[in-house]
Amino acid sequence: MRRSRSARVAFTFAWVLTLAPQAARAQAQPGLPMRALELEQAGKWREALSAYRAALDESTTAAILGIERVYDQLGKRDSILPLIDSMITKRPREPMLRTVQLRTLAYLHRDEAAAAAFERWVQIAPREAAPYREYARLLLDAGRATAADTVLQRAQRALGGTKDITVEMAQLRAATGLWELSAQSWREAMVASPYLDQAAVFSLFPTPDSLRGAVRQVFRAPPVAVEARRALALLEVRWSSAREGWLALRDLPPSDDAVSAWTEFGDEAEASGAWLVARDAFAAALAHKPTRELAVRAANDALSGADPASAVKLLEPYAAAADSESVRTVLPLRVRALSALGRAADAEALISANASRLDSLAHMRLVRMAAWGWVRAGDLAKARAAMGTTPMGEDEDRTMGWISLYEGDLKSARRILKRATETDPDLLLALALLARTKVDSAPGVGSAFLALARADSAGAVTKLVTAAPEVPDASALLLNAAARIHSARHADSSAIALWERIVKDYASQPEAAEAELEWARTLRRNGDRAGAVEHLEHMILTYPRSALVPQARRELDLARQSVPSL
Amino acid sequence: MTHSSFHWRGLARPGLRCLTNGARCLLALASLAVVAPALGAQHLLVPMDDAQQNHLKAYGLTFNALKAGNRAEWFINYRGGSFLLPDGPELRKTATLDGVTFEPLDNGRLAQIRAEIASGNMDAVTLEKAPRIAIYTPPKSPPWDDAVTLALRYAGIEYTTVWDDEVMNGDLQKYDWLHLFHEDFTGQLNKLYLGFRDAPWFVEQRERNLDAAKRLGFATIPALKKAVAERIRQYVEGGGFLFAMCGATETLELAIAAHNADIAAAYADGTPIDEDVDAKMDWKRAMAFRDVHVEQSPFTNSMSDIDGHQVNVPARRQPLGQFTLFAFSAKFDPVATMLVQDHRTVIPDYYGVTTSFNKAVIKPGVTVLAYEEGAPWVKYIHGDYGKGSWTFLGGHDPEDPQHNIGNAPTDLALHPNSPGYRLILNNVLFPAAKKKPLKT
Repeated sequence: MRRSRSARVAFTFAWVLTLAPQAARAQAQPGLPMRALELEQAGKWREALSAYRAALDESTTAAILGIERVYDQLGKRDSILPLIDSMITKRPREPMLRTVQLRTLAYLHRDEAAAAAFERWVQIAPREAAPYREYARLLLDAGRATAADTVLQRAQRALGGTKDITVEMAQLRAATGLWELSAQSWREAMVASPYLDQAAVFSLFPTPDSLRGAVRQVFRAPPVAVEARRALALLEVRWSSAREGWLALRDLPPSDDAVSAWTEFGDEAEASGAWLVARDAFAAALAHKPTRELAVRAANDALSGADPASAVKLLEPYAAAADSESVRTVLPLRVRALSALGRAADAEALISANASRLDSLAHMRLVRMAAWGWVRAGDLAKARAAMGTTPMGEDEDRTMGWISLYEGDLKSARRILKRATETDPDLLLALALLARTKVDSAPGVGSAFLALARADSAGAVTKLVTAAPEVPDASALLLNAAARIHSARHADSSAIALWERIVKDYASQPEAAEAELEWARTLRRNGDRAGAVEHLEHMILTYPRSALVPQARRELDLARQSVPSL
Repeated sequence: MTHSSFHWRGLARPGLRCLTNGARCLLALASLAVVAPALGAQHLLVPMDDAQQNHLKAYGLTFNALKAGNRAEWFINYRGGSFLLPDGPELRKTATLDGVTFEPLDNGRLAQIRAEIASGNMDAVTLEKAPRIAIYTPPKSPPWDDAVTLALRYAGIEYTTVWDDEVMNGDLQKYDWLHLFHEDFTGQLNKLYLGFRDAPWFVEQRERNLDAAKRLGFATIPALKKAVAERIRQYVEGGGFLFAMCGATETLELAIAAHNADIAAAYADGTPIDEDVDAKMDWKRAMAFRDVHVEQSPFTNSMSDIDGHQVNVPARRQPLGQFTLFAFSAKFDPVATMLVQDHRTVIPDYYGVTTSFNKAVIKPGVTVLAYEEGAPWVKYIHGDYGKGSWTFLGGHDPEDPQHNIGNAPTDLALHPNSPGYRLILNNVLFPAAKKKPLKT
């Protein structure tokens, strides 16, 4: 009995031993690294660790990097070192293993061990750039620019140049304030790796103002390189403006790469709301590679940037297209552009010509758009007539509210527009006026608002000032609106004259505090700090409860130069 | 314009007499109560607790009140270290312009406050005269390089800048208060030579210092800075107030103690650091530290083991924590109490070339004003030296914990209630306090 039991146990062991390699082979089937990754993503660190270890033979790189990440999560970064050491013994030239080793030692602040590991790597791969590159990067990340410099100088001697370490050279030079040299290295590095443009921008962004000219020269120097110009354009967007960025790209010789650069920059400009810059970028791409999509984007940006004339021009090549996509995308833009230009008759003709291709909803929308064209043309009767052809919904009702305002019928305008919820500046001004005044009819005020709607800012300021006596309870509001327009047009002395009038004649009105603040801001902008201080002090002391006092204090600090002016 | 305790006493006495003079005086008191609001308050209380909208400018308001010839009082430990100023249209105007919160007080309310101060760990310190302030900084350097100058500019406190020429000409005697920032008095330009030797700003800094050394008759920058440090030591010994921050704390002490030693690397003065430099240092002459180990490697961006954080030596760098202000007895330690007046007692730490001070190298008798719980270093220390006194605060900018070269300057309009900057401004006002016999 006893013997037979022993025999059974022995048999069982033998069976297990026979099956074990098969089981191990079955476990090491393809997909194990994926399983380990799933465990890691589920936060099952210990299980993930076992799975990554099991996957070491199958997918060394994925497994080692996974083990590194998991140990990091467990707060045991140093635990990977014995494994790495044993693997390096078997595969001493494997850069990934060496890199992980260096990274771990650097993370643990074991500087001497890291230096020794670097030396061992150099010894085994003396003509390779990887050891120098990886170690220099780690030193730079740790803020040890001096040590990184030493490593890279060694690399130059060992490799016979900087060709293989340009990125590290670029980063080092930026870290030590050598901006122009850094730009040169980045330009060199981007020739082989154009995707480094974002890294170059990140690295060079802190260049001081006084040295940016040198960086610009490096990227602009002949021969023209698309990747260098693209990096410069992105830098300019971050340093100053999208317009400056575009200047770096616009003179690229036409090519597929240039078209890509222009289109990508158009996306960037759109994202930052620089509509006319985006239009220029898409228009440049359009000239070399005409497509309806590019034309629509460029025209849309032109309209958003308040340049409807260029939108009309950009869409001209597609004006005759009658396919459904063109009717859906090009036609509304053309009607909108013509309306914005006040060419309502042309817009209506266009709608008529395409009437058979439009469904009733699309037709109605375009007709309303054309009605605004009549407003911009100054023909309110025709605008009313156009609106009369469409059924009245909430939007149309609001359009009628605007038309009433332009006609000077403040009572109707007040009734209709008070339901509006948008934050458009013109609407806010209109609502502020209608809420403030009890006057029901003021043709001069209507005429002033109509001038604003027609983008006739010069006419608007004159009419706003002239109309101010029509609404005695809101005169200051109209004068302040006129002053803002003057200021936006850089007519500072005209703006100041109006602000002065508000401060003197309407001191108890809500606009007085704003007028004095803006007056002071303008004086400071023009270099009259003493004048600015005087007005800011007067404003704060006269209107201590105004919501604008914090802004005035901020201006006062800037005018007194008690805070840095950035 | 005078006010405060004398007026308070003068008005209190009729009140006391009323207790004995019966109905006639009761009537007089009633009349006074009715009339007082019409006359306006006699005092302005500038609270420094969370009710204050702009703590930093409150110091400027008080400083400028003193400068205009007023007397003020600092109610230490009362509502965050509040100030009592005489009421007047000019002060109200300035406070309104600067957004400084104030509360008008009549004598009755002031009497209640004084009673409260008398009964707790608080005291009233008379501030008599605005101190004359000197900032040691290179000519033409922008004010935004230095936390103290930033604070003074923002608060509207007047100061004069001095540099090596003025110090060597003996001009320090003209000032009550001297501030030092990140100057490296060892003359090694903060050991930035190796990393930044070709950077234009570094080249300019080195040239400027070399010019000054030549102009003042010194062969090297270290020799010049050692002489300047000695003049500063003499200034404090003679009765001056010294406030230093960041690297100036550590390097000033090293330069003073190194009067017979070469502590500058060869790149700075052409000769290597003395091999037995630690033994040659004379710490008896120093103000705050003793038995310091001087860092001899020019490749290690550290001056000594004074700094606990060693931010520029990655292998030694310690993480930032938070420091706690020590609570002193206002009536027995008024000076230390003034220096720690704040509306927060625990403040996030911030790096500098010298961030903190290792306890192991601080001399006995030095007052620790702020410390980090459980750490081997402290943040803020103070002591007397000869007839004068000194205060050292570690770190560069209380509102920019990681401050790196090239970072944008801090805009204090965004930090008007900064508890860290308050520590700096406490130091500016503390020399204005009327000296009285020490109780400890």
